[in-house]
Amino acid sequence: MLPVKGRYFDGLTSARHDVQVTLSADRRHLQIVGPSLPAPLSWPLPDLRALRDRAQRGRLTVTLHAASEYAAPQDPARLTVTSAALSTELMALCPDLLKSDMREGAWGRLIKRGALAVAAVVLMLFVILPRMADTLAGLIPVEREVAFGKSVVSQIERALGATRLGQLRCENPEGLAALGAMTARLTAGSELAYALEMQVFDHEMINAFAAPGGQIVIMRGLLENASGPDAVAAVLAHEIAHVERRDATRHALRAAGSAGLLSMVLGDVTGGAAAVFLGERVLQASYTREAEAEADIFALAMLNRAGVSSAGMADFFDVLADMEAGMPALPAYFSSHPASAGRAEAARSHADGQGATSPVLRDGEWAALLAVCN
Amino acid sequence: MTDRIAGEYHGERRALFWLALRTAILTTITLGIYRFWAKTRIRKYIWSSVAGDGDSFEYTGTGLEKFLGFLAAIVILAVYLGVLQILLFFFGLSLLDASDAPGQAFLQFGAFVLPLLAVTPLIFFAQYRARRYKLARTRWRGVRFGAEAAAWGYAWRAMAHWAVTVLSLGLLMPRQTFWLEKYMADRTWFGNAQFKQGGTWTALYPAMSHVLIGLGLIVLSVGLLALDWIGFGILAGLIGPVWLLVGLVSYRVRAFAYLTSMKTLDGQIAFEAAPKTGRIVRIGLVGMLIVALLASVILGVPGAVMTSLVGFEAMEFGPLIIPFVLLYMLGLAVVGALSLVLLTQPLIAYLVGKITIVNASALDDIRQRAGDTGADAEGFADALDVGGAI
Repeated sequence: MLPVKGRYFDGLTSARHDVQVTLSADRRHLQIVGPSLPAPLSWPLPDLRALRDRAQRGRLTVTLHAASEYAAPQDPARLTVTSAALSTELMALCPDLLKSDMREGAWGRLIKRGALAVAAVVLMLFVILPRMADTLAGLIPVEREVAFGKSVVSQIERALGATRLGQLRCENPEGLAALGAMTARLTAGSELAYALEMQVFDHEMINAFAAPGGQIVIMRGLLENASGPDAVAAVLAHEIAHVERRDATRHALRAAGSAGLLSMVLGDVTGGAAAVFLGERVLQASYTREAEAEADIFALAMLNRAGVSSAGMADFFDVLADMEAGMPALPAYFSSHPASAGRAEAARSHADGQGATSPVLRDGEWAALLAVCN
Repeated sequence: MTDRIAGEYHGERRALFWLALRTAILTTITLGIYRFWAKTRIRKYIWSSVAGDGDSFEYTGTGLEKFLGFLAAIVILAVYLGVLQILLFFFGLSLLDASDAPGQAFLQFGAFVLPLLAVTPLIFFAQYRARRYKLARTRWRGVRFGAEAAAWGYAWRAMAHWAVTVLSLGLLMPRQTFWLEKYMADRTWFGNAQFKQGGTWTALYPAMSHVLIGLGLIVLSVGLLALDWIGFGILAGLIGPVWLLVGLVSYRVRAFAYLTSMKTLDGQIAFEAAPKTGRIVRIGLVGMLIVALLASVILGVPGAVMTSLVGFEAMEFGPLIIPFVLLYMLGLAVVGALSLVLLTQPLIAYLVGKITIVNASALDDIRQRAGDTGADAEGFADALDVGGAI
C-alpha cells in the first residue's frame, strides 16, 4: 500500500516528526520514516496498541506495549494517523490493538489494598468506634448528658407533631403520681446513677424510649394497649436498664463517628444517600439488638427484686408480636430488636420460676395512670 | 513552523453522551465501584478533544490506579475521620449546658463548625493532590505535564488566604486568587520547562468591578427601603443579586484571562486568553435551561405515570417500586450525561478555543520529564468527593 502521512512524537522531546507510515512487505511491522527521524522505525504489529475512548473519529493514535513503572504499560512514543484504510488494515492485522494491558502484579496490589481498606473500615465500625463510644459515654458529666437528653426529647416531641414544646405532655397529677409509685417500687433498693424523669406523651404509638440522662418517655398508646400495670412496669424496667447502661448516649456517639465514614466509602453514587441510610440502619440495628437483649435481662432482675411478675412482660411482647405479624417481616439484620415472640417466651418461662409476686399498682392507681392524658 | 498555536476542541455531543451514559449505568450496576473507570474514560475523551496545531492532548490515567488510590485513602481517612468526628461530637456534648446562658448559642455554633474546620485542610490537600495527579497523567506532543509535591504547603496557605478574604468581607479576594494560583502555577511543569506566574494581585481589581456594583446595589436597596423609597428600593433589591451573580462569573472569567496571559513557560513561551463573560453566561444559561427542561421530562414523566397508575387503582404500589427505582436511577444517569454534554463540554470548548500559545516554536526544545507515580492517584479527592464534574 501507499505510504500514509502521520505525526510521530518520540516521547523524549516535544518536537513533532512528520512521517510516512507503511506496512512492511511481510505485514508484520509498521514502518515509520521521516526526514527528522535519526533512523527509520519498525514497530512489530503484535505489540501495537491503540489509545481508547478518543475523540475525533477517523484518527488513530497508536503506541507500543512496553513495561513501565506508571499505570499503563506503554511506550512513551505516539504515532497518529488519519488514514481510514490503514486503520481498518491494522484492526484486521493486530488482534491485541484494543487490548487494555494491566501492569505486572496489578491483581495482587488490588487484593492487598482492598483487604486493607475493608479491614480498616470494619475495624473502625465494629471495634474502635463502639469502644470509643463506650469509653467517652462514661466520661461525659451527668449534667451535660441530662442537657443532651432534654434536647433529644424536645426534638422527638417536635417530630411527633408538637407545635410548641410540652404540648404532648400528659399532666394529670393522679396519673403521674401512679407512675411515680410504679417507678419507686421498681427502683427500691437499687442504686441508680441518674435521677429518673418520667413523662407520658399523648400519642397513639405503642412505644417507649429512654433518652440520655435519665429521660424516659412512654406513649399513651402503650398504656392503652398494655394488659395491665405489670406490663407497663416491665417496659419501664427495660427503659431504666437503657438509662443505667447509657445506651442512648453511646449510640449517638457511635453514629457520629460512623455516618461520615459510611458516606465516604459509598461516595457520590446515584442513590448514594439511600445506601448510606441503609448502611447506618444495619449498623445501628446490630449494635442495638445486643443492647436490647441485655436490657431485657436487667429488667427481669429488676422485676424480681420488686416482686413483680414478668407475666406482664410476656403479655406486652405478645401484643408486639401480633403487631409484627401484620407487617412485612424485616430481615433480622435490619431489625433493631430481637424477635418479640422469643422475648415473650423468655419472659413467660422466667415468670414460672418467680417467687411470690403482687401487682405493681392497685386498681385505682392503674385507672389513674390510664387517664393521665385526660 | 507556526509561531502561534490556537486552542482547538474536537469533542462531539453524541459520542460523549453515549460514553457518559454507558459508564454511568455501569457505575450504578457495580454499586459505585466503576466510578473510577467511568471518570477516567470521560477524561480520556475530553483530553483527546483538546488539541493545539492538530496535536491532541492525552490522558494516561487508568481506572485501576484510581481505585487503588481510593482504597489507600480510605485506610487513612477511616481512622482519621471516624476518631475525629466522634471526639468532636463528644466535645460538642460536653459544651452543651442545660442553662440558656447567652454564651450557649455561641458554644453550640462552635461545636457545629469545629468538625467542618477539621476537614477543611484535608479538602485543600486533596484538591492539590488531585490537580497534581491530573497533570502527571496529561501529555501533549508526547511530553508529560507535572506538578511538584506541595499539597500541605497549599493546604495551609489556602486556609490562611480564605481566613483573610472572609475577615476582609471579600474585599481581599483578588489577593487570594492571585497568590494561590501563583503557588500552583510556579510548581507546574511541562516536560523540563517550568511555568511562571507573573503579574500582581492588585491588577485583578478591575475584574471585580461588577461584583462591587452588585454589592453596592444591594446596600443601596437597603438604604432606599429604610428611607421609605419603596419603589426604587425594590428595583435595586431585584437587580442587585442578579448583578452580583453575573459579577462573580465575570470575576472568574476575567481573572482567568489575566492570570493566563501573565503566565510564561520556560521563560519564553507566553499565552493569550480572551474569553468573554457574556458568552460564558449565555452558554451556561442555555445549557442549564435545556438540561433542566429535559430533566423535568425525563424524571417527571415516570413519576406522573406511576402516581396515576396507583391513583386510579390500576395497579398496586408494591410491585411498582423496583421498576420505578430502576427507571429513576436510569433517568439520573441520563441527566448526568446530558449536563456533561450540554453544559460542561461547551464551556470547555469555548475556553480552549480562546487560548493561544505565543512563541510556540520554543516548544520544540522541551524535553521529557520523569513521570510521577502518584501513589494515591487523587484517592483523597475521591474519598472526600471534591472532584468536580470531570
